[in-house]
Amino acid sequence: MADMLQILILGIALGGVYALMGAGLSLVFGVMRIVNLAHPSLIMMGAYVAYWAFKLYGIDPLVILPVAMIILAVTGVLLYKLVFEREAKSATYSEMTVLLTFALAMIFEGGLATAFTNTQRVTSPEYATDAIFLGDIFIPLGQLYAGIVSLILIGGLALFLKYSRFGYAIRATTQNREAAQLLGVNVNLVGLVSFAIGLALAGAAGSLVSFVFSFFPSKHWEWIAVLMSLVVLGGMGSILGTVVAAYLLSIVAAFVGFFFGATWSTLTFFLALFVVLLVRPQGLFGEKPELA
Amino acid sequence: MTKLLEVKNVVAGYGDGPAILNGASIAVQPGKVHCIIGPNGAGKSTLLKAICGMLTIRQGDVTFKGKNLKGLRPDQVLREGICFVPQERALFPKMTVRENLRMGGFSMPDKSTLEKRIDEIEERFPILKERRDQHAGTMSGGQQQTLAMARTMILRPEIVMLDEPSLGLAPKIVQEVFEIMRVMTEDGITVLLVEQNALMGLKHADWGVVLDLGRTLFEGPAAEVLTDPRIQELYLGGKKAA
Amino acid sequence: MAETYENADEIVAARRAYNETLAQAHDKRRVFWFPLTVVLLLLALPALQLVGNYNYLIHIVLYTLCYVTMASGWNIIGGFTGYISLGHNVFFAVGGYFAGMILARYGISTIVMAPIAGLVCAALGYLIGLITLRVRGPSFIISSLALVMIFRIFFENWHFVGGAAGVSLPTNDLSVETAKFPYYYAFLAMAVFAVWASYKIKHSKFGLGLRAISKDEIKAESAGIDTRLYKVLAFAISAFFVGMAGAVWGEYLTYIRPNIFLVILISVNMVLMCIIGGKGTIAGPVIGAVLIVAFNEFFVATLGASAINILATGMIMALTLMFFPLGLVGTLAKHRKLPRILNWD
Repeated sequence: MADMLQILILGIALGGVYALMGAGLSLVFGVMRIVNLAHPSLIMMGAYVAYWAFKLYGIDPLVILPVAMIILAVTGVLLYKLVFEREAKSATYSEMTVLLTFALAMIFEGGLATAFTNTQRVTSPEYATDAIFLGDIFIPLGQLYAGIVSLILIGGLALFLKYSRFGYAIRATTQNREAAQLLGVNVNLVGLVSFAIGLALAGAAGSLVSFVFSFFPSKHWEWIAVLMSLVVLGGMGSILGTVVAAYLLSIVAAFVGFFFGATWSTLTFFLALFVVLLVRPQGLFGEKPELA
Repeated sequence: MTKLLEVKNVVAGYGDGPAILNGASIAVQPGKVHCIIGPNGAGKSTLLKAICGMLTIRQGDVTFKGKNLKGLRPDQVLREGICFVPQERALFPKMTVRENLRMGGFSMPDKSTLEKRIDEIEERFPILKERRDQHAGTMSGGQQQTLAMARTMILRPEIVMLDEPSLGLAPKIVQEVFEIMRVMTEDGITVLLVEQNALMGLKHADWGVVLDLGRTLFEGPAAEVLTDPRIQELYLGGKKAA
Repeated sequence: MAETYENADEIVAARRAYNETLAQAHDKRRVFWFPLTVVLLLLALPALQLVGNYNYLIHIVLYTLCYVTMASGWNIIGGFTGYISLGHNVFFAVGGYFAGMILARYGISTIVMAPIAGLVCAALGYLIGLITLRVRGPSFIISSLALVMIFRIFFENWHFVGGAAGVSLPTNDLSVETAKFPYYYAFLAMAVFAVWASYKIKHSKFGLGLRAISKDEIKAESAGIDTRLYKVLAFAISAFFVGMAGAVWGEYLTYIRPNIFLVILISVNMVLMCIIGGKGTIAGPVIGAVLIVAFNEFFVATLGASAINILATGMIMALTLMFFPLGLVGTLAKHRKLPRILNWD
């Protein structure tokens, strides 16, 4: 029984990190209607920021987290201005822009690999290898902290979206871009800020990833597939859906991993994706089904 | 003839595609209902979109109360005092009627009067009050059109532009829609509408504009446009129409 | 006080003239002599081995022909139908493994097995397409990526095919000078077949339906086109070509391994070649293949390391997508400057 509980807690902690990764992605999709395949590679960038801060200056990843967020947010603003703003006006917006984000992912991966080589990295603050005991249950401290920080950030995002004026504008733009624009929302600005927020969350996720997993530049491909599964399962455009899917799938994957091994654990996400496509293409909370 | 809004020889198109408007002009007078008619592809909707900033104006001028609107974003044009209701009605399907109305007041700098204005609108349009908590996406076409038009009145704009308000609506509902337009003009709002049903549009309007191939062919008092023999033949269905 | 701007007759005349300019005058001048000449030259190329060691050149041309086959195949679902699949290297792998395992166990040449491997992939593509083609746009692209991941894990853990270490394949008994020849001609044949097939498809009712789907699927459906069948067929056909190429590539390389076949770069190359050449055109994939292989060679020669390769590929892709989304052939065609030799449509 204690075993089961432990796995559950592990799943929840991991779910938090995935939820954080997915939330940024979902936010950008909702506002700009593009799937940013470069999101995971930007998470890697955040991870490298945390790594070097730790290795060179001994700064704890949790401390560098806000800095990583800022760096990524600025990157987001630049990317938006240079690339996405003009893309928004093109006719073949959707598919071609997704391919463009794919190209960006390769550029970031290539850049990181060239700069830092393909060596596996991990930051190792004390708590990464510590654990606490709740009775019989063994909880790794690193993952616990990651889970808590994720929850805080996602909660913050939710509050921002629900109660702030700009959050209101974001929600309106997500629901009906044209209507929002005609009612006084500067949708371009909303796009810019949402993109920056989405990337800031990626930066935060990167800092967390740096001590939860070992990473290297091409690891982002694994994340892409996992995150995509979350977004499809949760429903494209629904941040809530992505978050719920993240926790759900992580818990399931944790149990699957326990009973069948790590490989099947990773497979869980991808198989879930296919099942969703078969059974309910719009996902859990998706809007109109993008059915063919 | 004072011109509230003056559109002169506007050239515009979608993205970097060909120009849809090739020198369109209109003179909009305060307090009147203006109806733009013309065949499919003439550029009627495009003209409204160009005025409100959804399309870039490549050449020509749009002057509103002496101010040049060229290059402004839609949200900026809104703040100048021009509202636009597109063909798709631009509602938020997952928000309730009341929330849609509230969203109508998004650009108001001072929110204290917002609730009061929403209440006023609800009083004037009982159907909206009745369904205030209903999701906008579940309403009928006519109700959605009413909501879209009533929503513009929250801001007390100077001009409201409507793109084919009667689209897909039963004749009786269409009458109600034109009634709302009359209510708007009584409030001092100037109406500019695009109508596919030229006869009906011109019958309810004060001023008619005939557009074809992205150019203004003819504009004048609606009654004159309605009875002009050339226009009758080309766009109103022949000499038998009256 | 009314103002008339024009009169009716002028308008009618102007309308006619306007419609004229809108109708895209399709350049019907097609030249068959150019591709035919190229094929003849390629047929003769290996003869160079008689005068010197051109093994590397033969390798490069072979490599390009392999990609021409795959890119042309991909073009059928990606270019004609508009469904961007980033996971087509799955079929490359399945083809490679299928024919490779048969070679390893029964000694039957992959060249002989290639068409059958292609059919296997087509069948697989049909089944996969039934699932993944239920969604459009971004969701489809995502599912294609997930597919690669699934197959990668699958192949890496399947002991029958050697898991992550893969299987080594026997080499042929030919001399050093002529060793590449069978594969060279196999790929040449495949490439010609692929280009010919895409031409035939594009000019068939099927191809017209695919083009309708790529422009507006809903309208195509309401026009009576069985979009589901068409899409899945296109997907299966594209899988056929990629699978065939994969089958022979394994033997050429003399081993089959997950990290050779299932690396994302292969998929990316297929897509990039079509985009840079011109998605949806016939000559596009061919030109794209030549360009990308040329770029690759250039980068490897000047920059060496593989990490920069990814960076460079990404940059080319990004720049092409941002500034030349129609590709070389497409952009030239749009501006009416397409040289006749490149108009294979």
